[in-house]
Amino acid sequence: MRRIPILAASTIAGLAGVIGFHSSRSTTLKSLLASQAAAGGRTTPKTHGGRSPSGSSLPSGSTSRASAGSLSATGALEQYGYGRLAVRVTVSSRRITAVSVPDIQVADSYSGSIASQVIPMLRSQVLSAQSARINGVSGATYTSEAYAMSLQSALDKLHFK
Amino acid sequence: MATEHNTAVAVTFDPSLGVDRRGTKRSVRPEPLPDKPPRPWVVDLAAGIAGIGLGATTGLAFTAETHSELVATGGIWMFAGNLTALVGTYLALVMVLLVSRIPAIEHAVGQDRLIRWHRMLAPWPLTLITLHVVMTTIGYAQAAKAGFMHQVGTFIKSYPDMLTAIIGFALMAAIGLVSIRAVRQRIPREAWWTIHLWMYMALALAFMHQIALGPSFVGHPLARAVWSLAWLASAGVVLAYRVGLPIWRSFRYRLRVVAVQQEAPGVVSVICSGRNLDRLRVSGGQFMLWRFLAHGIWWQAHPYSLSALPQPSYVRLTVKDAGDHSRAMADLAPGTRVMIEGPYGAFTKHSQRRRRAALIAGGIGVTALRSLLEDMPGGSGGARPVVIVRASRPEDIVFRDELAALVKHRRGALHEIIGRRSEVALDEATLSSLVPDITGRDVYVCGPEGFVHSVTGALRHLGVPRELVHHEAFSL
Repeated sequence: MRRIPILAASTIAGLAGVIGFHSSRSTTLKSLLASQAAAGGRTTPKTHGGRSPSGSSLPSGSTSRASAGSLSATGALEQYGYGRLAVRVTVSSRRITAVSVPDIQVADSYSGSIASQVIPMLRSQVLSAQSARINGVSGATYTSEAYAMSLQSALDKLHFK
Repeated sequence: MATEHNTAVAVTFDPSLGVDRRGTKRSVRPEPLPDKPPRPWVVDLAAGIAGIGLGATTGLAFTAETHSELVATGGIWMFAGNLTALVGTYLALVMVLLVSRIPAIEHAVGQDRLIRWHRMLAPWPLTLITLHVVMTTIGYAQAAKAGFMHQVGTFIKSYPDMLTAIIGFALMAAIGLVSIRAVRQRIPREAWWTIHLWMYMALALAFMHQIALGPSFVGHPLARAVWSLAWLASAGVVLAYRVGLPIWRSFRYRLRVVAVQQEAPGVVSVICSGRNLDRLRVSGGQFMLWRFLAHGIWWQAHPYSLSALPQPSYVRLTVKDAGDHSRAMADLAPGTRVMIEGPYGAFTKHSQRRRRAALIAGGIGVTALRSLLEDMPGGSGGARPVVIVRASRPEDIVFRDELAALVKHRRGALHEIIGRRSEVALDEATLSSLVPDITGRDVYVCGPEGFVHSVTGALRHLGVPRELVHHEAFSL
């Protein structure tokens, strides 16, 4: 009985410790992906054009003209088994020069960690294939399919063949 | 057979031996290696660590998910599933540690109390982990827009370590079911014991999915490392104190049965010889887990009290025939090797708060009382113990002469209460007439569970302070 105060006080201390430590340094999937995209070179320009995309559920989805001769578009937000994602692509002189994932939500942390491993691989596959016809990553079939479909819808907006 | 052993003078425990040794050498340390007194602060420290762990584990659940994850489809279910998983698993770890036989904690708390805490805690991890399984599956199913059973299939097919985790949970649930009182009472003690040891396997099987999939651990290498280390360390503690130490002690003392003597109808003493017994730190009133390496019983270890303090090359335990194992004690052949675990228990002179004491034993509880009494100092500053021994029939009183000699030397009083429980009650009136100053004494109660329960109840009514009542129940 006399140990109940000890238990209560130390429980609160442990709880406060973890929450305090967490808020001082926290990483999320989005910031992880953003940092990887930044490390990957060109990030997509933030400017948005006025043209509303057709067939996309993403309200902010748009094409935009960034620097001279380069066009960007964000594809449809694709639902897949473990979350949803949208791919943004930049095309310059008939070449895909940049791919990123500005919007991703995953159901759980494990799927998130899979996504953060897989998306850079998919990105390099797209850059080398120069199309949405990619092999995908085995073990992450749903993510790969969603990525390819969203990418294709972005490319369609840019009339990229 | 029995008479032959009785006449073997070398192995007879003479209570006056202990008396003489104490009487003549009061100024020097009476025992070659006295048992170290327990350190209650160790338990306070352990409680503090356990609390910090509980708080930190709960904190992990609250910091695992971001706001957007929480508001997403199934997010609330996943959060609740994660919280119940973490807290439930943590409580399971505490349960493991409560019975891990950490010597300092065993000594300060006593094993029967530790096991009571272990039992009290048991429903919580089982319930919380079951909730985790249901709620996390609902959460994932909602997020994937799938059915519950479909999601279970997805877990097995495309998530790592989920198959083993599901097997672990099935095992855990089965153990939980057989531990429900009504079911447990229909199963032999040994069978239940063996089944319930499978919990170690269940916890091990479930471990990998925690760190591979747990939102608090994925992408949080520090949390993952601390959690893994905590489990690894606990596994180490269990191995060290439940396996390693007993093996080491058994090897060190090399006990062998030398004689079996009948003490009363259905009660036998087993005398074992060994080496280094002067180094065995044991307090009177403690018990050990005994494993006799004889045909048919070698795989079972049973708790039996030492009925006397170790003498230079012998230890004695006394057993009442109450089950297959204790019945087999009567047939032990001299030379049988003995493995020991312990000594355990806080039913010792170290718990004494006042100078005077009263010792009350029912039935076979007299074994622990006998060695406790032997461990209490005599002389003018002694406990002047009032000893009350209860038995159904006169011939059932064990160690009558030994008790008389020990009590006499300690200038105490010995009362024998004989008769059926329905006829002669050990109630408040009897207790206060036999021990008029009972509220000012430490009272040690030892015997079958029902006996201990009724006597401690009477002591409470008499106003004996809680901290002065020390008890040890024998579950037969």
